[in-house]
Amino acid sequence: MDSTGATRRARTGQRRAASLRQSLSRNWLGYLLVAPLMLWLAGTILYPLISAIRISFLDVGIIGTGGSFVGFENYSKILNSDKFWSALGRSLLWVVSNSVIQTVVAFATALILKQRFRGQGLARVWVILSWIVPTVVVVIIWRWLLGTSGGIVNYALVALGIVSEPVGFFGSGTGAYATVVLINSWRWFPLMAVILLAGMQGIPEDLYEAASVDGASAGMRFRHITFPSLQPVLFVMGLVGTLWSFNVFDVIWLFTRGGPSSATTTVPVFIYDTAFNSYRLSRSAAASVIVGVILLIFAALFIRFMMPPDEKEA
Amino acid sequence: MLDSWRLRRNLGLGLAVLLLMLVVIAPFYWIFSSSVKAPQEIIAQVPTLFPQSFTLQHYDNLLQSSAFPTYLVNSAIVAVLTMIITIVLSSLAAYGLYRMRFPGSDFLFRIILITYAFPGILLLVPLYEMLSSIGLIDTRWALVIVNVTFAAPFAVWMLQAFFRSVPYELEEAAALDGASRLRIMVRIMLPLTAPGIASIAIYAFITSWTEYMFASILIISDANRTVPVGLAGIIGQYQVDWGLLLAGATVTTLPVLLLFGLVGRNFVDGLTAGAVK
Repeated sequence: MDSTGATRRARTGQRRAASLRQSLSRNWLGYLLVAPLMLWLAGTILYPLISAIRISFLDVGIIGTGGSFVGFENYSKILNSDKFWSALGRSLLWVVSNSVIQTVVAFATALILKQRFRGQGLARVWVILSWIVPTVVVVIIWRWLLGTSGGIVNYALVALGIVSEPVGFFGSGTGAYATVVLINSWRWFPLMAVILLAGMQGIPEDLYEAASVDGASAGMRFRHITFPSLQPVLFVMGLVGTLWSFNVFDVIWLFTRGGPSSATTTVPVFIYDTAFNSYRLSRSAAASVIVGVILLIFAALFIRFMMPPDEKEA
Repeated sequence: MLDSWRLRRNLGLGLAVLLLMLVVIAPFYWIFSSSVKAPQEIIAQVPTLFPQSFTLQHYDNLLQSSAFPTYLVNSAIVAVLTMIITIVLSSLAAYGLYRMRFPGSDFLFRIILITYAFPGILLLVPLYEMLSSIGLIDTRWALVIVNVTFAAPFAVWMLQAFFRSVPYELEEAAALDGASRLRIMVRIMLPLTAPGIASIAIYAFITSWTEYMFASILIISDANRTVPVGLAGIIGQYQVDWGLLLAGATVTTLPVLLLFGLVGRNFVDGLTAGAVK
């Protein structure tokens, strides 16, 4: 009895040791596989983030010049600069207007693509075309379409009698801002649409059937089934989409360079312009740090208050 | 009664699909078709829906007497290198994160999520400073490094659904047969996750092919310039040569169309699988 107990204990011990060894070697391999990417990102994101903070306390103008410690001078310059605060305001408006337009159009698009029709497979793939071509192509397309001579949009507007002479879409501040928002939305709504569509396809069909049997209208089915089921997808889109949209630089820069008279200077344009046209790298780094903190607070609040309940458990 | 309802529904759906395609595709048709028009027709006051003239002179100018071919070669080199490095880094990490459980794997996964949402503009100044301090300014490697940084985290995320869907029994059976981990990864996981790999390959290529912001400050000489910055330079010239620009836009779009035509379905699946999972 005693001996068998000892044997059993010994066996269990061996088994445990074996499984521990196995799990250790597995762990070791797991870390090894993830390590290259993590080291890469440590070098290209973490280290630069730290050096952004370092640079923000120096007085570097062009690269290789200056470099003495100036304390919080760059921060106080940025925080007292009207240009910075107006850029922040324009970025806020940019994020809000883009997300409203894109969400509405993306929902409509997803609902269309969800229906059965011939060529549906092709449409679901190619709808994303505007998102995958280089921004510079988007810029050439729309400059050409919106041009005052030979541009089809102005031609159509004049021919339909909506305006009497060609409109300069980038002439006024408000016009330029609105035009760039619309073009950026045109570029991004298909991505949102295919993501929403994938979310909708994950909703069990019998939910809709049951609702139809109970006499729910299409609008009610959307409000009580589609929309609530999409909460997790909408949460991710809201968080990541906001950060991505905030980050948009090239569309704005290539259309307007932030003009006319700074009307389209959002935060990314401000940061770029300060660093590489005004040659104030340290000042620009300070602005990046401030903006980073603001975005961090936004992300924390968004996660705290907007995360769907079932996501929190996971 | 039912038939007329169905007819109206089909008609409405058809119109909606048509409108959608018009919004998305028509602008591309417009530049492709205009790029073969003669210069007078391009700037004609009354735009022509179908080209009334046909000429390849803009393409000739673009490829014979502008620096565009150099840009194209640079963009291709940078995009292919970005693609290869992204595939290697992301698929290794994906295997580790999604097929193995180890202490801290959830934490590392979170880090990946944070980095893909991270706004690149905040790294503009410090990355520039870092790359110049190691002497990589005005090299294509600088662009590869930046592009991989922004493509790889999202690529890992895209791979999630593909890696998680492979049954563990397959790996266990192979392990029982004495296959090594490496062999299992190459012989079993790689073929089974090939659609996922294809979708991240395309994502990395497109990320690199379209990148403008970093390329505009990291590259100084015309000989190392990529297409987005090169074309933007042509837009900025005093006298805009629309024929040249339209031809340039067309040629720039072609590789993307080609790749997308081949594996566009996988790409869209990969894009959405991560978001919905």
